[in-house]
Amino acid sequence: MQNIELQPKTEIMPMKKNRFKKANPADVIFVLINTLILSFTVAITLYPILNTLAVSFNDGLDALRGGIYLWPRVISFKNYETVFNTKNLVIGARNSVLRTAISAVLHLSVTALLSYVLSIKEFVFRKPVSLFFVLTMYVNAGLIPTFLLFRELQLTNSFMVYIVPGIVSAFNLLVLRTYMSSLPDSLRESAQIDGANHLTIFWKIYVPICKPVFATIALFIAVYHWSAWFDNMIYNPRNTNLTTLQYELMKLLSSVTSQTSSGGAYGRGSQPVAVTPNSIRAAATIVTSMPIVILYPFLQRYFITGLTIGGVKE
Amino acid sequence: MTDNHKQNLSDQDERLAEENAAKKTLASIKRRELAYSKSSQKTSSGPNSDKSTALMSRKDKRKLRSERNAEPKVELSRRTMLRQRELILITIPFVLYGILFYYIPLGGWVMAFQKYKPQDGLLGSQWVGLDVFKHLFSEASFRLVFRNTLAMGIINLILSFVFAIGFALLLNEVRLRAPKRFVQTVSYLPHFLSWIIVVGIVRDMLSVEHGIINQILVGIGIFDKPLNFFSKPNLFWWIVGFSNVWKETGWNSIIYLAAITAINPEMYEAAALDGAGRFGKMWHVTLPGIKPTIFILLLINVGNVLNVGFEVQYLLTNGIVKSVSETIDIWVLYWGIGQGDFSLGTAAGIFKSIVSIILIYLANATAKAAGEERLF
Amino acid sequence: MKKTFTRLMALLIATTMICGLMAACDGIGQKKVKTFDMFIAMPGTELNDGNKAQEEIAKITGVKVKETWLVSQSAEEAIGVMTASKDFPDFIEASDGYQIMVDAGALIAIDEYWDKYPNIKNYLSEEEWNMCRKADGHIYAIPQFGIVNERDVSPIHGDEAWWIQTRVLKWAGYPKVETIDEFFKLIEDYTAANPKHSDGTNVIPYTILCDDWRYFCLENPPLFLSGSPNDGSVIVDPETRKVVDYNTTPIAKMYFNKLNEVFKKGLIDPEFFSQSYDEYIAKISTGRVLGFVDQFWNWGYTAQDAIKAAGLTDCTYVPLGIVAETGIEEQYHNAPVLDVSGGLSITTGCKDIPGAMKFISDLLTQEVLTLRFWGVKDVDYKVDENGMFYRTPEMRASAIDANYKADNLCPYAYFPQYQGMNLDGKNAWRPDNQPSEFFEDLLPEVKECLAAYGAETYVEMLNPSKPNQPWFPMWSFSNDLTTATPGGLAWATMSEVKHEYLPRVVMADDFDAEWTEYLKIYYERCDIDAFLAEMQAEVDRRIAVAEGK
Repeated sequence: MQNIELQPKTEIMPMKKNRFKKANPADVIFVLINTLILSFTVAITLYPILNTLAVSFNDGLDALRGGIYLWPRVISFKNYETVFNTKNLVIGARNSVLRTAISAVLHLSVTALLSYVLSIKEFVFRKPVSLFFVLTMYVNAGLIPTFLLFRELQLTNSFMVYIVPGIVSAFNLLVLRTYMSSLPDSLRESAQIDGANHLTIFWKIYVPICKPVFATIALFIAVYHWSAWFDNMIYNPRNTNLTTLQYELMKLLSSVTSQTSSGGAYGRGSQPVAVTPNSIRAAATIVTSMPIVILYPFLQRYFITGLTIGGVKE
Repeated sequence: MTDNHKQNLSDQDERLAEENAAKKTLASIKRRELAYSKSSQKTSSGPNSDKSTALMSRKDKRKLRSERNAEPKVELSRRTMLRQRELILITIPFVLYGILFYYIPLGGWVMAFQKYKPQDGLLGSQWVGLDVFKHLFSEASFRLVFRNTLAMGIINLILSFVFAIGFALLLNEVRLRAPKRFVQTVSYLPHFLSWIIVVGIVRDMLSVEHGIINQILVGIGIFDKPLNFFSKPNLFWWIVGFSNVWKETGWNSIIYLAAITAINPEMYEAAALDGAGRFGKMWHVTLPGIKPTIFILLLINVGNVLNVGFEVQYLLTNGIVKSVSETIDIWVLYWGIGQGDFSLGTAAGIFKSIVSIILIYLANATAKAAGEERLF
Repeated sequence: MKKTFTRLMALLIATTMICGLMAACDGIGQKKVKTFDMFIAMPGTELNDGNKAQEEIAKITGVKVKETWLVSQSAEEAIGVMTASKDFPDFIEASDGYQIMVDAGALIAIDEYWDKYPNIKNYLSEEEWNMCRKADGHIYAIPQFGIVNERDVSPIHGDEAWWIQTRVLKWAGYPKVETIDEFFKLIEDYTAANPKHSDGTNVIPYTILCDDWRYFCLENPPLFLSGSPNDGSVIVDPETRKVVDYNTTPIAKMYFNKLNEVFKKGLIDPEFFSQSYDEYIAKISTGRVLGFVDQFWNWGYTAQDAIKAAGLTDCTYVPLGIVAETGIEEQYHNAPVLDVSGGLSITTGCKDIPGAMKFISDLLTQEVLTLRFWGVKDVDYKVDENGMFYRTPEMRASAIDANYKADNLCPYAYFPQYQGMNLDGKNAWRPDNQPSEFFEDLLPEVKECLAAYGAETYVEMLNPSKPNQPWFPMWSFSNDLTTATPGGLAWATMSEVKHEYLPRVVMADDFDAEWTEYLKIYYERCDIDAFLAEMQAEVDRRIAVAEGK
């Protein structure tokens, strides 16, 4: 609904030439409306998180009855206890951190380099190479052929399967390319006249200037790898040393689900099932999103405010 | 107020110090650039290079745009290739990588022309020509799920663009850093919730008995009695669309916030000189400034319009709205995977790819005609 | 930036090397105990390393099996990838992927190896083994479930029934409730007299789950109302041995008409058709729902426990065997069935087939069976002076704690086992079947209710099970139907049509018009004859196999 409110405000455009007047009444209204909209957004986006948090601290069986909103009804730490007791949690966390960190750095640097090349308008193969990668977003070979290829490449049952397959992502490539093409060509051209080669230009000029978009793409890559578990299940299902955090949590969830739906032991009356899938899911969500929530502010400062070096652009 | 102002300043100092190195490099380039621009440099480059663009007439802008985005004519000659050998050398490994990881596995598409059985393998399965595709298109239910998928894809595309861009623009107008960070951090959090959690909450809010939406609508007299939202087939697509908006708006806006950083601050000064207010700057500077990003994402997502997934629809559906809720992916899960029919799943995948490629070709051509940023 | 990057690259290289080293070290550290791996194409729980019961079993058998389970994938997908890659574990329970494994030639013929292992060979009778044989005459899987030693002693009715709260029966003075009319009359009268639940909200007299595949709660009661056992997809007339489609019988029409009638009276939860499984469980867990039809395993292990945990002791449920009209004999409780559609297999990836066979055989000795299902003596259960097993409250609490189970209990649930009685003839095979364990936990309200109907256990609320017919259960066939055959296609389409139209029929203003419309679409879109023909062929085949032809 946000931008519907924007329409009536267009009439402020006929220019009033009093630029010395600080508080333009139209601006005041704008700020007011903006504050209202954003407060509303915060309220509705904060709610699901607080709700999940409340459920995660609530007794699982009690939560089955519904009606938990912002605060747990029967406080219990059992859900977190179960999550932190997950098998191979430490190995999984180590592998997840490794794949996230390595991929974020490697994929970003590699993709950025190609984006730089493809952002050069004079490059003869710019168009075919762009098309070549754009198409990869829309064609999908399916599970079995991909599996067979990875096995041929010795990627199955190895840590490399977490790193190698996604090195160049067309989506990230295009976002980076767009950002780089919006920078003045003269940045590059003048350096070329000075005899700098492309790798140097990329490294010395483009890398520093592209920090905001790098931070964004690094975040995308990191979040993808942090939450990935499907590749673990398909390519490394039985090697404990290669397990990831998310896969261990998936296994935990599916085992809790199977326990509650198909029973196991019954006739225990006052000793009901200790945890339920929903409450475990809530606790696992909170636990796995924490690292990203902590990481975020460090990346955020790169793209939350405009670039001060903008002044030295032409 | 002053405290916040100080906070702003010190934050800026911090940033300045941090970007000192980059600045130095740039400053030296700038010097060389000046010298360079004397001799050549007539075409402006980059959307923000010219201050006056902000207030130019529509027609002029379009003209400028098509000039800017016009492909420089480069002939594919031995000389050009020799001159660009460094660029070509950098590109080669990427292309090889792409062939290996994205194109070779496409050999698996032969499954769609076979009665594929895992035990017989890709080479040993029986060939059936176009039978699988014939089966696919002859199913009335497939045509139905195609319609649903397309409708939900378009609704999602429009809603998510409008909301993400709107949110990024509005957030960018917040001057105080602390609230700005807070709003942004909160807004992207729902991205990390799985659909099963989000759908649980959506169902809660729309519930007939105690759902807050029904309570409000009945409370202010729009309905006389609570509405069972999930019994109305014409509401289903919108429920999916707005659930999507709720979950992903903050996350989707991140990319626009990054793009906003590339806008030249002088543009705002120029606009201010011309008397633009807050809204005017947002509308005439910020929005055009992120237009290349908007177009690229729009083009990418037009191709993804059939990839609306299955999870949210599957979790929200029921017998009554089934005819509008089923997507291609659900159809494939049920009739393909659920029945062990890999060939059917592959055929549906190929169909989706072909539709996507046609769509991006059309969209890309449109973008080219309009002189906007494009994919290839 | 540059420094950071260099550091990260160094980290990258270092970790790559570490990973390589770790992979290389994998093979070292073999112990004397043999380790087999196993994949079970169902969701389940992995055991922790050093699991106590597993270690005890390894002491006896010299073997440890590492079980891995299906995660968020269909069995066909998992098995499909496995057969494409030829990367097999030693043991497998392939579930829905069993036929794919057989076709791929990935399984060992058990009957070629069993001569040295009488425990395996005598595990089933000759006729039962015949039912397991594939087209080539070999046996590729050993069924694990439904093999009952002596007698079935389960006190819980685990299958379908009409469940009703004990407070409703008590309020009416424990009347006899046999027909669907009596059932809804009782619910209606109770609601009129007691419209509020203890928490102040209105009671929900009756609800029906329609979520996805669980919509059997709506569609299959006509089968039971006709007095047929749970064949699932069709009624098989025991006299003529002919299959009947239960969806369109007069009893089906009567049932849906009744639902329509009570829906109009406001006795059915208005959200029944759109509620998700979670919402359904939540509703029952509050104790507000007076009655419903369901399979016990679908709701009992969560909702019944939640009601007890909330202290609503008069709101738990007992099963009723409701029929269409007096004179029909109900058959809700069935004897355990031998499921021959799959089982435990040894794959061609197994390097030590005799070792694997010996392990299966060892698992069937009483010593190991007790370890599997009761746990370690004096830790998980105690033995009294008469040789009867029992558990202390602490032991019972541990036995349902997920972490305790992963560290201490090892049922090897997908290996062959005996249900019913232990081979010693004294104790039940599992604690939850032991009468002393059951009565220990029974709520007084339930005890009183059961006693009023002359029953001691839930099962005794229903007619005792009859011996299974040779074709029973037909769901084990219809579950495996695929759209590759016309009958299978019809079966899948029937489910689509019913899913969409049956809720409409229940809510229709004009029942007869909607019912006619439903039948019209049903016959138009589904080739019922093809479906029935395939079901009939299977019934005939099963009868022939049982008769040894």
